[in-house]
Amino acid sequence: MRLNFFRTHKQFTIFALLALLVIGVAIFAPLLAPMNPLEASMDDSLQPPGGKYLCGADKFGRDVLSRVIYGTRTSLVMALCLVAVIFVIGTVLGILAGYFGGIVDGVIMRLADMMISFPGLVLAIAIAGLLGPNMVNAIIAISAVSWTKYARLARSMVLKIKGCLYIEAAVTIGTRTFDILRRYILPNMITTMIVTAATDIGTMMLEIAGLSFLGFGAQAPTPEWGLMLNEGRTYLAKAPWLMIYPGLAIVIVVVIFNMLGDSIRDILDPKQEP
Amino acid sequence: MLINPWMKKYLGLALACALGTASLTGCGGNGSGTPSGNGNAGGVTIGVTSFADTLEPTEQYFSWVVSRYGIGETLVRFDETGELTPCLAENWSISDDQLTWTFQIREGVKFSNGDDMTPEMVKASLERTFEKSDRAATFFDPASITVDGQNLMITTKEPVAILPGSLADPLFLIVDTNVDDSTFAMQGPICTGPYAVESFSPTDACVVVRNEHYWGGDVPLDRVTLKCVDDQATRSMALQTGEIDIAYNLKTENVAEFENDSNITIQQMQSLRSTYAFMNQKGALSDLTLRQAVIRGLDRETYCNKLLEGGATAGKAPVPPTLDFGFDTLKDENAYDPEGAKKLLADAGYKDTDGDGFVETPTGEKLNLEFVIYTSREELNVYAQAAQANLKDIGIQVTLNTVSYETLLDMRDAGQFDMLIWNVLVANTGDPEKYLRENWYSTSSSNQMGYSNAEVDAMLDQLLTTFDEAARKDLIIRIQQEIMDDAATIFFGYETTYLFSNNRVTGVTMYPMDYYWLTQDIALAA
Repeated sequence: MRLNFFRTHKQFTIFALLALLVIGVAIFAPLLAPMNPLEASMDDSLQPPGGKYLCGADKFGRDVLSRVIYGTRTSLVMALCLVAVIFVIGTVLGILAGYFGGIVDGVIMRLADMMISFPGLVLAIAIAGLLGPNMVNAIIAISAVSWTKYARLARSMVLKIKGCLYIEAAVTIGTRTFDILRRYILPNMITTMIVTAATDIGTMMLEIAGLSFLGFGAQAPTPEWGLMLNEGRTYLAKAPWLMIYPGLAIVIVVVIFNMLGDSIRDILDPKQEP
Repeated sequence: MLINPWMKKYLGLALACALGTASLTGCGGNGSGTPSGNGNAGGVTIGVTSFADTLEPTEQYFSWVVSRYGIGETLVRFDETGELTPCLAENWSISDDQLTWTFQIREGVKFSNGDDMTPEMVKASLERTFEKSDRAATFFDPASITVDGQNLMITTKEPVAILPGSLADPLFLIVDTNVDDSTFAMQGPICTGPYAVESFSPTDACVVVRNEHYWGGDVPLDRVTLKCVDDQATRSMALQTGEIDIAYNLKTENVAEFENDSNITIQQMQSLRSTYAFMNQKGALSDLTLRQAVIRGLDRETYCNKLLEGGATAGKAPVPPTLDFGFDTLKDENAYDPEGAKKLLADAGYKDTDGDGFVETPTGEKLNLEFVIYTSREELNVYAQAAQANLKDIGIQVTLNTVSYETLLDMRDAGQFDMLIWNVLVANTGDPEKYLRENWYSTSSSNQMGYSNAEVDAMLDQLLTTFDEAARKDLIIRIQQEIMDDAATIFFGYETTYLFSNNRVTGVTMYPMDYYWLTQDIALAA
């Protein structure tokens, strides 16, 4: 039965394994990385790939491969934190807006409208610039512009569920509001929310890398892919490996998580059921 | 249910692709304009790094930009060899009591609006500078400025040996004071240079047009655009595509990109610029031992020779070896010595008590030095990151704070830093006196690091009134030795400057005092 599940969902199985692999790389980074990602040996500045440095060395003689491996940690942790934050905030606000309606709805949804009336990354840059550049602030900045999607989705689903007979029945027999939200509304919408969150992981990784690239996220000397791209940019003509490897890492990991999100959606979404 | 799943799928992918491309090609964002960026056929575009929020010459160092853009001129100027030559003043002399300098003002000079530049106007302009800029008084403090015919007399209470050189600093460029000077900031000051401002946008570009009233003869170009391209890689690419004709502040790593390009001329010069970091003695760095350890922990030879690939000479003293002020004879007790630095720290009680790999202060507080750097000079980032790595090795935690130059100025003035990078011309008056006084005199407005050494103050005061070359040199060497012994400042290096230009333009010259970028000599190749 269990095995059958994996057999019928080959795409999911493959990408889940790959995602586990990425998570494994993050967890076991100290074992996998050949060198300390922060250890600078300046005599080896810009050593090309091969020999001592499998993927070359950066300007300060740090091993690019080790930095890419450690970068998995930064990117993964930040992306997961970010998705968790916007998932919780967006869902809670969306449910409140949808269920209570009226002025609560008005305030929350107008706030959301305000947020999406700016181009997302630009507003994130502004917020990160105001708060000062570091990883936590980058997460705050991107959260501030990304929660609206979840709030709107949650609200629309709550509105739909709210009209169902079982909710009316629950209200009639005097069930407490909190219990209605927890036991009847949340379970009926949570799958869609989770699917959305899963498909978002890859996108959020890109946004974080983007902010770091622009200097508003991770700060030197943290090994972070976006930041590494930016650092390598100056030496693009002479040392292309400084951009190739972190760039590849971003592409691979983002594709894995996007495809995983899609597979999860294919499985959970009832409309997709064969 | 509510959102079509297929739509979502492709939307997600499209978004991912779009963002991916955006983050990968973000560098090209600024410079990806059309190759034929020179919309004006008779014009030239110069790619510059600019730190000027406004063109008001009395604010900060913004007068440098006014001078570099060929807008403003001073009474005297420096030539290609760093010697003083006449400009708006035809000649100058000093009285026997050494208190009064007389400048004979050039006749027939007009401002770009057609007004005559009379000696009275020069006087008014200088007085305006002294009134508006607190930097002006650090050069000299005039007791009186008087006019007699075509002569301008500046009298000081004490003899000032470097007065003519000081007047060559762009801060003292001559502006027309008969016009509404509140427009100077955004529309540009009215000056006497070969070009006058047409439009100015601090972050984008400054467009200048020929000054029809220029006193020095024909100005070859109708219009020149000075385009701010702060990012080094973008500036280099803009030169490759022909979007700009001249690129300032490119570095060693760019030389390789143009080596086989016969269209590009590369000039280089061992510059008079010094890169150093102030150490704020109002914070944790008030401890001499810690400062010594920090300096000893930095392998500046490697930074300059390996990381910058010879784009700089390793530093140890305030004045670079390009000027003969005893660089080789100065004794540096804080040369690179990581083991010695560790020992210093250990002996003084700096220990890692919480096991995070970084030392705490002897009183047990966390030690995390904030190192403020700015973005428009790529090598500053290299120095700072290398310093961070080196100091980590000896157990000192450093956090980098990368800001814009304008923010850096504010942070310096507010004293908000432990270490703060600085890159400056050492001999801005033709000699290092002014530079030393501005940065290490205890009450100088630029000295926000709290450095105070009575010896240094006394010698700087003595230097003010010393005219004899040998005596001046001796004093300057002794001042440098004091500053080095006090471990007051980290001297990273003295950079080599490059000037890249393409074959469309001629007459592009490098000056040791980089006050002059756009000059009357720059013309289109025939």
